[in-house]
Amino acid sequence: MSKKTINIPIGSQHIALLEPVRFKFECENEKIITVDSDVGFVHRGIERACTTKFKFDGIGYVVARVCGLCAITHSLSYTVAIEKLLGTEISVKAKYLRILLLELDRIHSHMLCLSHTCESAGFEAMFMRIMGDRELVMEIQELLTGNRIQFDYISIGGVNRDLSSEIAQKIRQNLYEVKQRALGYREEFTNNWSLSLKFKGIGALSLDDAYRFNAIGPLARASGLHVDVRNEINYLPFSEVGFVMQTHKAGDINARNLIRLDEIQNSIKMCENIVNGLPEGDIFTKPKGKPNGEALVRFEAPRGELMYYVKGNATAMLERVRIKTPTFSSIPAFSHIFVGEDYADVPAILASFDPCLSCTAK
Amino acid sequence: MIQSLIKAFTNLFKKPQTIDYPLTPIAKDKEYRGLIEYGEESCIYCLKCEKACPPGAILFVKTENPSANEKNKKALEYNYNPYLCIYCGECVRACPKPEEALWQSNKKPSVATKEDKVNDNWFVLERLKKES
Ligand code: SF4
Ligand code: SF4
Repeated sequence: MSKKTINIPIGSQHIALLEPVRFKFECENEKIITVDSDVGFVHRGIERACTTKFKFDGIGYVVARVCGLCAITHSLSYTVAIEKLLGTEISVKAKYLRILLLELDRIHSHMLCLSHTCESAGFEAMFMRIMGDRELVMEIQELLTGNRIQFDYISIGGVNRDLSSEIAQKIRQNLYEVKQRALGYREEFTNNWSLSLKFKGIGALSLDDAYRFNAIGPLARASGLHVDVRNEINYLPFSEVGFVMQTHKAGDINARNLIRLDEIQNSIKMCENIVNGLPEGDIFTKPKGKPNGEALVRFEAPRGELMYYVKGNATAMLERVRIKTPTFSSIPAFSHIFVGEDYADVPAILASFDPCLSCTAK
Repeated sequence: MIQSLIKAFTNLFKKPQTIDYPLTPIAKDKEYRGLIEYGEESCIYCLKCEKACPPGAILFVKTENPSANEKNKKALEYNYNPYLCIYCGECVRACPKPEEALWQSNKKPSVATKEDKVNDNWFVLERLKKES
């Protein structure tokens, strides 16, 4: 006799979702047996626009609009690809400033994710608390770049604004504050019953599966897989500013939260090192020529590896821009995690992935 | 756990973090990236800003009554669309006379209403530009 199953969709519009995505769960009683997903609800044709509407020097600003949260990683990846093609060598100071903003971005993105996991576990007060503290990071980002989001800070050949001593002081102050508060969250995430009940042992991904499904970013590191693009690339001096890879073993939602908290601490340390030891120099080197040939660049976005492929033909218009986003690469792992879990845990698990659908559909 | 209860309780008596906007204005940093401003007298009509602008928010279009600026040989007029602008500052970096001819202020654009016809008016300019 065949067992009775029931299909329950979540999305494309759902109260627990921040962005449109559709999952179709086949459930047997409460347990999920199979998952089907569709992510293409916010397609905007950005890759096409990059090769037909905009010249190569403006595309850094176009791709920044792929995603509101990791805008900086997008424009940075594109810019580095173009710099590779043009053979532009940027100054050491500009490199450090780029890392500074990249890590600030990671801190606020991880805080956003943590707050949403709390919200989806029904812990609204914690959501408010983290979002309130996140303002400290937003404030320094605004001081540094002139805008809260969409920083438009990276340009081909360097960065757009210098770091003044007042801003540096403010960054130190605010980061110190964030550091203390993030240490406080650790206590909540490990000891608070309501969070533990919802998170511990739920949505686990084993190390083998993380490897098999090619998991990336915090998702993989929470399962103990040692992958972080910051460890593998040499366009920016991450190891010099104190980057240490964070990993955890459990692989469940709780481990993913803890990984994010650890990464926040590590990023704060990197930012402090940069602010305290910023070298002198120019922040901008004028690039020359038109991009010709192919370049492939990878960066660690807050959610995992982001890949840019750029092909130019010595004219102002590019031939191809291909963007592969972290959420897209993680979909096999996501789908695997859902299998065998309770349907009621879906929002919490989904929030712990920190999916970014506008990135994915671009 | 106890800590968290205490925290939750003390939070009840804290001031709200949010600002009662627009009744209470939000302080703007002086380096905030806002509207682009133009000083016609210093402009040399090199059109570098127009070329540099990623979304095309600056257009120099032929006009009937051009300014008295002697550099303006082709009788052009500067047009700026604050609603298309992304405030990236590329135009200012491209301008040979920043601060005098073109600079970035920290002002916000006004809210566009239907009567302003910002899109329609801009489309007319874009068409004129294409034809010239
Ligand atoms: S700030 Fe950027 S978008 Fe605005 S007019 Fe200047 S170049 Fe164009
Ligand atoms: S770049 Fe400066 S000088 Fe040249 S046209 Fe624009 S505003 Fe005038």
